[in-house]
Amino acid sequence: MTLSRQVIDPDNPSLDQSQKSGLPLSPAVRGGDFVFVSGMAAIDPATGAPAHGTVAAETRQILTNIGRLLEATGSSLAEVVKVNVLIYSMLEYENMNAVYREFFPTDPPARTVCGVKLIGGHKVEIECIALA
Amino acid sequence: MPPSHELFAIAACYAFWSLAPTGSLVRPGRQEVAMRAVIPAPVPGLDLGREYGHHQSPAIRAGGLIFCSGMVAINPDTGEREHGTVTSEARRIFENLKLLLESAGSSLDRIVQVHAMIYDRIEYDVLNRVYRQYVPNAPPARTVMSVQIEAGFKVMLDVTAAA
Repeated sequence: MTLSRQVIDPDNPSLDQSQKSGLPLSPAVRGGDFVFVSGMAAIDPATGAPAHGTVAAETRQILTNIGRLLEATGSSLAEVVKVNVLIYSMLEYENMNAVYREFFPTDPPARTVCGVKLIGGHKVEIECIALA
Repeated sequence: MPPSHELFAIAACYAFWSLAPTGSLVRPGRQEVAMRAVIPAPVPGLDLGREYGHHQSPAIRAGGLIFCSGMVAINPDTGEREHGTVTSEARRIFENLKLLLESAGSSLDRIVQVHAMIYDRIEYDVLNRVYRQYVPNAPPARTVMSVQIEAGFKVMLDVTAAA
């Protein structure tokens, strides 16, 4: 059986940072039963500009944007199976976790959180895998 | 340059199953197929949500795969953190992974991919020595990175397995 592979175009082009910045990545790719979402930083969905803020604010913006992106593909946050959260300091874990839980009220996805050096002055980056 | 065995990828088998346990998401039109199901902690210590307020399920089964949350060295019976060396933490994590995967009908042999996180790259060889004991044959695809890990742990393993 050959599995399909399809690049997802967000319905809001502001969320397509690859196009804006000329980076060699797609915002999301559907493969088999899954949608693989690229690591997303906080972006203002109206302008596509970076939305730098606190860990809480960036987390909220990213998960809102990911939710819209998934819905444009026919999936949703409720169908996310795995999330990787990258934050600039693990001291901010709880600030991320508190906002994060609002977006996954029941049966939250499996998740890995780690502290890394992020580019572009962002404090949070989130990638995920969802059912297509 | 990573050793060649890290490039050894195992193709995931796609299988469907018909159970729809609690926490499962069932698609309209595919009622008999549970698309997304929470795998509960087989022992209390592996529920980091309950123990430490992490907002995550221990693992999710979907599309023939099992996605595990990042695992750290936790005593499975008491839920206490077991900080130690890279070796002792990795051992504890693999023992816990075995419990978790086997409770879901999978096993260490069925792991397809690992993201191994360590606190310092200098311990890379130490990790490898203990790691190869748990996946001796046809090891999974793997990426190792050095990152900050929660609560001062030295190792975290992020695993995807075939269901």
